[in-house]
Amino acid sequence: MAAVNGALTRALLRLFAVQGSYNYERMLGVGTGVAEEPLLRDLDAAKYGPAVARGGHFFNAHPYLAGLAIGAAARAEHDGAAPDQIERLREALCGPLGSLGDRLVWAGWLPFLSGLTMAAIALGAGWIAVAAFLFIYNIGHVALRWWALKAGWTHGTRVSVALHHPVLQQAGAVLGPAMAVAVGAALPLTAAFLSGPFAPWARIALAIVAAVSFILLRLLSARLNGLRLSLAVAALALVAGVLWP
Amino acid sequence: MILPLEVLLALVVWGTVVGVDLVSLPQMMIARPLVAGTVAGAILGDIPTGLKLGVVFELLQYDILPVGAVRYPEYGPATVAAVATAHASSGVLGLGLGALVGLVTGLIGGLTINLLRRVNSRVVHAAAAQLESGDPGALVRVHVGGLLRDALRAALVTIVGLVLAWLARPLLGNAITVRGAVLLAVAAVSTALAAGAAGTLRLVGRGPNLAWFAAGLGGGLVATLWLR
Repeated sequence: MAAVNGALTRALLRLFAVQGSYNYERMLGVGTGVAEEPLLRDLDAAKYGPAVARGGHFFNAHPYLAGLAIGAAARAEHDGAAPDQIERLREALCGPLGSLGDRLVWAGWLPFLSGLTMAAIALGAGWIAVAAFLFIYNIGHVALRWWALKAGWTHGTRVSVALHHPVLQQAGAVLGPAMAVAVGAALPLTAAFLSGPFAPWARIALAIVAAVSFILLRLLSARLNGLRLSLAVAALALVAGVLWP
Repeated sequence: MILPLEVLLALVVWGTVVGVDLVSLPQMMIARPLVAGTVAGAILGDIPTGLKLGVVFELLQYDILPVGAVRYPEYGPATVAAVATAHASSGVLGLGLGALVGLVTGLIGGLTINLLRRVNSRVVHAAAAQLESGDPGALVRVHVGGLLRDALRAALVTIVGLVLAWLARPLLGNAITVRGAVLLAVAAVSTALAAGAAGTLRLVGRGPNLAWFAAGLGGGLVATLWLR
């Protein structure tokens, strides 16, 4: 038991760097192989090499949930599952783990806390809001990585059971509305915070440019992104700034 | 922008750590502009500027949903460079020039991420036979190589950003009028707000969350007017 916990801890630590060699050929594959390796060390020599090689094959999912596939694949190797079945398991988990992680983290937990932090800064909380963001975010982050690895290791080839865990379902249902409220509230507060030092004419200009920019980003979303638009508007402002006495 | 060597080194180290955190290690969100900007401000002894630029780039970050192999700008080291620029120029001019330097650095950072992934692909392709042999040493070497290349990439992006910060004041600060400086700041803040709103609406979609977003927006407006 202590040996398994030690291997799981080593795998967890390596999971923090699962995207370290991200590439367009195997995506997270090499990183998942590195993270899975401590869980394979007690396989016999004939099984160890092929299992390590399989662990490094193509894999793509949300990085925080990659541990679920790693734990499940390692347990399947220990249970003597056929190589084809383990490959299929990894492939089958890519999509669900990607979409679940995107919904829970990138479109939920992260923007929710970021929105709250921006609102708190606008209300004068200062750097303490940023420290609280970092602390609270990472409680969820580390807990999710650890849970995913443990659940994968516990369930093996039947890991799909873990994806239906009620906490995941409830978190998905709560985080969407919470994120929408938090960022919605943060927008006017940050607008007031950032435009504080502006003269009245500049605030009117800000409202007009923001409205036109928003419409352009909505209408031309396929070709235009925030960076391109910001650079273009900044270039126009620079030219106007040089010419306007 | 003239900074003591130890402050410059601290900014380069911080920008590198921030750049590595974005994708490689440990993704604990110090790469978020709010965090990157606040700590850069603390290094410079100017936390309010760090918070302000952090919020501007955090709004721009909402334009990005890092799913799959999507390409995106890198706003972490960009925010560090932006804060260094703004610290050198007071008030509204600092905000505008800082945002401009940060946007250019973010663009460069995004290009280098794509380049790094291509280089990593070649390395993985070349090591395919070793990887297929099941040699864990080969796996670790390829992986650690990727991590080190990302650290080098992040350091270079930060250095380029700080060079731009150093050039911004003499090249633009003296040429631009007071009104022009305000226009530049207006451009940066307004497009960041628009990107933040548009990006959030993409996440929210047309379902029931749209009503929650409207409720939040209404609450934020009331709070803003009440606090004036």
